[in-house]
Amino acid sequence: MQKIVEVQNVEKIYGKAGEKQFKALSDVNFEVKPGEFVGIMGASGSGKTTLLNILSTLDTPTSGQVEIAGQDITKLNNNQMADFRANKIGFIFQDFNLLENLTAYENIALPLALQNKPAKSIKPAVSSIAEKLGLTEILNHYPTELSGGQKQRVAAARALVHEPSIVFGDEPTGALDSKSARALMDTLTKINREDNVSILLVTHDPFSASFCDRILFIKDGEIGQELKKEDVSRAEYYQEILDSLGTFAE
Amino acid sequence: MLNKLALSGIKHRIRDYSVLFSGLMIASAIFYMFMSLATNQTFLSSNSPAAATSFIFGFGIVLLAIITIVYVNYANTFLLSMRQKEYGMFMMLGAKSSKISRMIFVETFAIGAISTVIGTLIGILATGFVSKWIISVLDMQVKHFNSFYLPALLWTFVFFIVIFMFSAIRNSVSLRRSKVLTLLKRDSQPVKIKRNGVLKAIQAVLGLILLIIGYLSMWYAGQNPGFIYLGIPIALVTIVGGTYFTINSFVTAVIVMLKKNTKYSQKGLNNFTLSQLSFRINDYTKILSMVSIMFALALGAITVGLGFNNQIDNVVNGQNYYDVQLTNPDASQQKRLKSLNIDKKDVYNFKADDKNVYYRASEFKKQPLGFSQIDTQTMISKLGTSSDPSKSENARYELMNTRMPNQRTKEAKFVSDKAYSAINAKETTTVLVKTNSFKDNLAGIKAISKAEVKRYPVLKNAGGDKYSSYTLINGFFSGLEFMGFFLGIAFLAMLASCLMFKILSGANGDVKRYNMLYKIGTKQKVLRSAINKEIAVLFSVPAVLGIVHVLIGLQMFIKILYKPYAHIEIPFAIFIVLYLGYYFLTRYLYKKIVLK
Repeated sequence: MQKIVEVQNVEKIYGKAGEKQFKALSDVNFEVKPGEFVGIMGASGSGKTTLLNILSTLDTPTSGQVEIAGQDITKLNNNQMADFRANKIGFIFQDFNLLENLTAYENIALPLALQNKPAKSIKPAVSSIAEKLGLTEILNHYPTELSGGQKQRVAAARALVHEPSIVFGDEPTGALDSKSARALMDTLTKINREDNVSILLVTHDPFSASFCDRILFIKDGEIGQELKKEDVSRAEYYQEILDSLGTFAE
Repeated sequence: MLNKLALSGIKHRIRDYSVLFSGLMIASAIFYMFMSLATNQTFLSSNSPAAATSFIFGFGIVLLAIITIVYVNYANTFLLSMRQKEYGMFMMLGAKSSKISRMIFVETFAIGAISTVIGTLIGILATGFVSKWIISVLDMQVKHFNSFYLPALLWTFVFFIVIFMFSAIRNSVSLRRSKVLTLLKRDSQPVKIKRNGVLKAIQAVLGLILLIIGYLSMWYAGQNPGFIYLGIPIALVTIVGGTYFTINSFVTAVIVMLKKNTKYSQKGLNNFTLSQLSFRINDYTKILSMVSIMFALALGAITVGLGFNNQIDNVVNGQNYYDVQLTNPDASQQKRLKSLNIDKKDVYNFKADDKNVYYRASEFKKQPLGFSQIDTQTMISKLGTSSDPSKSENARYELMNTRMPNQRTKEAKFVSDKAYSAINAKETTTVLVKTNSFKDNLAGIKAISKAEVKRYPVLKNAGGDKYSSYTLINGFFSGLEFMGFFLGIAFLAMLASCLMFKILSGANGDVKRYNMLYKIGTKQKVLRSAINKEIAVLFSVPAVLGIVHVLIGLQMFIKILYKPYAHIEIPFAIFIVLYLGYYFLTRYLYKKIVLK
């Protein structure tokens, strides 16, 4: 079976040779299969964001190989990287990153417009994803007129509208209250199950992580432990995560 | 310690501060340049024939002062937006608000004082340079003009010190009143959404009506010059208001229309750019209207200034038909004639007694005498030729001026060859030359005229030839033209830097937006082109309105100037080139701030 993400021996070192150097990632290896919901957990400074930046082509590894949807993204030039992000990747950020001068509809339509999709095909695509995420009523609102939860659902719709190979979430529940956080995670799970969308989530919140199928724990730039959900309930899985964090942090 | 921290904060943002400093220096430099003209009464009165000049310059000072205040205000907002986060952090760490407000006061005032002093020095140099350039390019004669003029210097210092004092007080009060959290989080304050369609529709209609009133009053003032003192203020008020409402409503309407056209808006970043613009227009209406009015005034000043230059040609050509006139030319003068591009060369002989000068009528039959006349009603000069000057007063007048001053009061008689030979007097030969263009041959004509004056010193004060008319008229109009040019360039530089500043002060807030667009896969090329488009629209809206204002505003000069619309492409081209320079600079600086 083809893998959506395949990371091999990735290393990231900051600082020039001869100067003081800092190793942010060291020999990272893992893969994500189609339709998987994977979480990456770790404390601040563990290398989560560096890893996510490399996976999303915003940064390049010092050495190693990263393949996404069969393409080696470490060999792309700037323009190809931009195209790759626009076509293959969906992003959900912690602080939503919506453009406040565009309505919810326009924000969601942005990735399609960037791909120069014909105007006729944009409307049905936006309407369909909006309906799935329960946003139909608020499509004409500007972000400032929306609650945090609504904003994050708009951001999720924007990440999904162009049917990317994988959606990356960078602490997507970080700025939400517990109720909105739960609603968002339910929505992501539903989309993952029903539409077989692969999701990779970076978080340090055990509650959000408990929605994943598999969790990779990262510490000091290295992936140390893997926790699979198997057949346990979410509540039990949550407890397992807490236990793992307890032992992993030591 | 805090002072040290604040200073290191400046070092980190040296690029933003250099934008701030250069902007403020430009402002004080331009203010000085303008004041060096406007406060120099000797210069104004000796270079301008019109009593209205002082009035126009007084008006100019008020306008420039208003723009400068607005400008410094924008610069100040830019400064505060850069510093508030840092000062907020100091306060969070326990610095007292009184200490912080004192620091921002000192910082604002110091920036103002330093940039004013350097700016004024630049202003003195620039005044010297620009005036020399304008004078040489336009072959002007300007009297009593100094690039260093003490009263102008003092005025500039006093004015800037006062406005910076106010800015510093305002900044320190505003910091003292703000909550620490507001200071720290001002970047992420939500944008206000305004939706008021009816109000916009009313504004659109009102804007159009005001513009029409303004345009009509300018046209009416042109037809009835007596109305001008009332017409200018009416036009100014209505056009300012009309421009404001038009930009606020009409431009928004166009953007909304474009957004509705999904084929256009849903392509690439078009929708983003349109939304940026529609948000910006709300925020920018005041500055865009001000810029368009200033643009019109500046362009108008240069156009009218050049109009006076066209006037010189017209009036000079109306004075004399021939470009060169020589009396008994010697070999060296004949040689100089060869350097000219000659269209018509006529040679006449005459003899004189105590009362009359006698010409041979046959010479005029063979080579008809050219003459010019100016229609005082239309101010248009016409050229004609006469083979019998006894029948044409204009021809006799032209001929009179070709003689030496002591022969001019005598009556000209046109006699037969036989009668001519019978007159026992010394014969004088007059050589008259018309070139293909007075302007193109100016250097040669000047040399011949100077040599002629050397040969006949009596001509020095009596003139009579075209070159001396030219010197006289050029001196008369040069002052006006110089003022127009100076006024125009000063205003343009000021308004374009105002617009630049306003756009740049919003750039910090755009960093996040462009970063997000980049993250979701927008190519750098597409981001750059979106920025170019956005800034191009912000620059062109006031320019287009300003050009319309000028084209209609020139109606005011229709009776004062000869063909005010002639050669209009020259000032427009000069202007557009300078303005484009500012556009490119703004777009460059903006990208430096926004794109990583």
